[in-house]
Amino acid sequence: MDKVKSAFRSFGLFFAEFGEAVVKGDLWTKLTLVWMGAGYLGRRQYIKALIMTLFQAAVIYFSCTFAVEYLADFATLGTVQQESVFNVVTMQNEFNDYDNSFLILLGSVISLVVWVGFFFAWIFNVKCVWRIERQAKLGKHVNNFREDLRGYINERFYVTLLTVPVAGVVIFTIVPLIIMIFVAFTNYDQNHMPPSALFDWVGLNNFISLFGGSGLTVSFSYAFVRILIWTLIWSFFATLTCYFGGILLSLLINGKRTMGKKLWRALFMVTVAVPQFVSLLLVRNFFADNGIVNTILNNIGVIGALRDLGVISNTYIPFLSSPGWAHVMILIINIWVGVPYQMLIATGVLMNLPTDQIESASIDGANKWQVFRHITMPYVLNVTGPALVTDFVKNINNFNVIYLLTESVYTTTNQTMANSQAKEVDLLVTWLFRLTQDNYNYKMASVIGIVIFIICAVFTLVCFNRINRKEGEYA
Amino acid sequence: MKRKYVDIAVRHIALILLAAIWLVPILWLVVTSFSAYDGRNTSQFFPAEWSLHQYTNLVLHPDTVANFPAWFKNTLMIACGNCVISSIFVLMVAYAFSCMRFKGRRGLQNLSVIVNLFPGVLSMIAIYFVLRTFGLTNSHFGLLLVYCGSSGLGYLIAKGFFDTVPRGLLEAAKIDGASEARCFFQVVIPLSRPIIVYTVINAFLAPWMDFVFAKMILNAGVSADWTVAIGLYNMLERSLINSYFGQFCAGGVLISIPISILFIIMQKFYVEGVTGGAVKG
Repeated sequence: MDKVKSAFRSFGLFFAEFGEAVVKGDLWTKLTLVWMGAGYLGRRQYIKALIMTLFQAAVIYFSCTFAVEYLADFATLGTVQQESVFNVVTMQNEFNDYDNSFLILLGSVISLVVWVGFFFAWIFNVKCVWRIERQAKLGKHVNNFREDLRGYINERFYVTLLTVPVAGVVIFTIVPLIIMIFVAFTNYDQNHMPPSALFDWVGLNNFISLFGGSGLTVSFSYAFVRILIWTLIWSFFATLTCYFGGILLSLLINGKRTMGKKLWRALFMVTVAVPQFVSLLLVRNFFADNGIVNTILNNIGVIGALRDLGVISNTYIPFLSSPGWAHVMILIINIWVGVPYQMLIATGVLMNLPTDQIESASIDGANKWQVFRHITMPYVLNVTGPALVTDFVKNINNFNVIYLLTESVYTTTNQTMANSQAKEVDLLVTWLFRLTQDNYNYKMASVIGIVIFIICAVFTLVCFNRINRKEGEYA
Repeated sequence: MKRKYVDIAVRHIALILLAAIWLVPILWLVVTSFSAYDGRNTSQFFPAEWSLHQYTNLVLHPDTVANFPAWFKNTLMIACGNCVISSIFVLMVAYAFSCMRFKGRRGLQNLSVIVNLFPGVLSMIAIYFVLRTFGLTNSHFGLLLVYCGSSGLGYLIAKGFFDTVPRGLLEAAKIDGASEARCFFQVVIPLSRPIIVYTVINAFLAPWMDFVFAKMILNAGVSADWTVAIGLYNMLERSLINSYFGQFCAGGVLISIPISILFIIMQKFYVEGVTGGAVKG
């Protein structure tokens, strides 16, 4: 709560100074409201005045040419369908001057982002001019251009450091995310693919069909519930098994009585060092229906025995090709992939264990289990608790393991799932990916993406609040 | 005394068993890569006939399906580019957030946490269309842009490490008249060798390990333009697996060797960086 309050307060302060500048500033400062370079001109900072004027001119030019063109169509996302028209002059079929819904959306989002950026730059600029005015009035030194530049390797070095990376994040993450959030409210799918067709706003329809639609869309809500449940089960078990597996393995390797610690560590490292797409694709063939494991199990008679018991109905164990088996195998294979990673991290944590506590506990007669339960575990949990939360979120989005293990191996027999391009073993992300790659169903993919975000955000917020409160109690 | 020996025996037997489970698939990868048979070996664990021809085929006789030398070169180029640009971005962001205090620092950090909660695949869909508009799909430059563009978000581990640099050092340097930029280059960077090595290797390895982004951006192009990951994945297509599985294994072994070496160098710093970051929060 305090965080929210302080956020609002700093937000309010940001505008308060702006208001003060508007009310109390002199003519030059007031003129800055319409002409960004004016204030600097009044203070004889000609270079800065020139830069700000050019900046403003560029934004105005951008608004009049680019932004107006795209934002004008933003409400309809285009109205002119692509048509092939016979041109009597060139004697050829040519396309008419059609609208491309996606380009309109893209152009509009870019324009909006530029305008929001400009708005803050504008306010910031007025405040800068106001500060200079006050400094000048108090008779203090006003920086010249060279001194201002020097500030960028000194107290304002952070601006120099952050500008390019932040711009990268805005262009390559934030703008695309905003576009996809908008797409969730349109009917952008394979029947509405620009440039040959237009797409349009449909309001909350996509959300309705995901959360319990009727008629043709019922398969989406059917698949969604099942995939959501499996995603949560998967993340829960994948996180916990790897976490505790890693700690136990690390205790086993780093125990006082274990010889050749480095050798053991290196052996387990091998699986981590092989890239995931190699090791997972390999394991998928290892456990294939006609793969080596099934052959060996057949030769030693396990398959025959299982068949007699009625556990399986084929001449092989469908490790990765039938529900149930595949779910368990995926979790087991994930242990194989993930435990060595966790072992590495746990090793680092365990090296910093408070040894004096353990010693005094064992002098007092505590056995190993008690030491583990009451000293080691609380310490490790305390240090790695936040990592556990982020691991859970990572597992919700664990694309590699599921996709590489099941793509083109697992085919669903459930017709309702297949109707919405889903499989029982899919996570929400792999479903999202498959919807876009195989079916061009961008609208539903965006909705699923938003749902994933909400799940991750709620989970993270709740957990970190808990962790923070706990720390507050002990502090 | 007796209990002690039992304990030692149990520990080592358990470790041997576990190590065996962990290494059997890898062993299968290695032995299959030395098999004379091109397809998937399903009848026995060790190949019936040993040979080097999977390797010679892969490296010396590229064809339209398997063009390993080209893939290797592509991935290496992208990895080098990413290594330079991403590492610089990460270190810059980490220093700004760790060692400097400014308005909006908290806000930007919170924003980065929020953005990280969206699945990366989601923004990739839109990036794909944007890149296509500019004609950058199926190009290595486009893929490099994707890797570098958002790399600033991965600053947390480096920041955790920078947080441990004693503040007194920075203050002393500033009192002596050093600018913030000098503090960055001449105080913090020289003290942060482990985390720089970690960041650089991490950025170098990303294109070798990545599968999704490469598949989305490069998939439609000719096979000579692919990276190792999608190339090897494609060898396992249902129609190709019976003639290319051996080469897939050979390729897997070939790229695993340099990656393993880098990874083992990195892991020393990885543990330091991760725990340093986790402890300090």
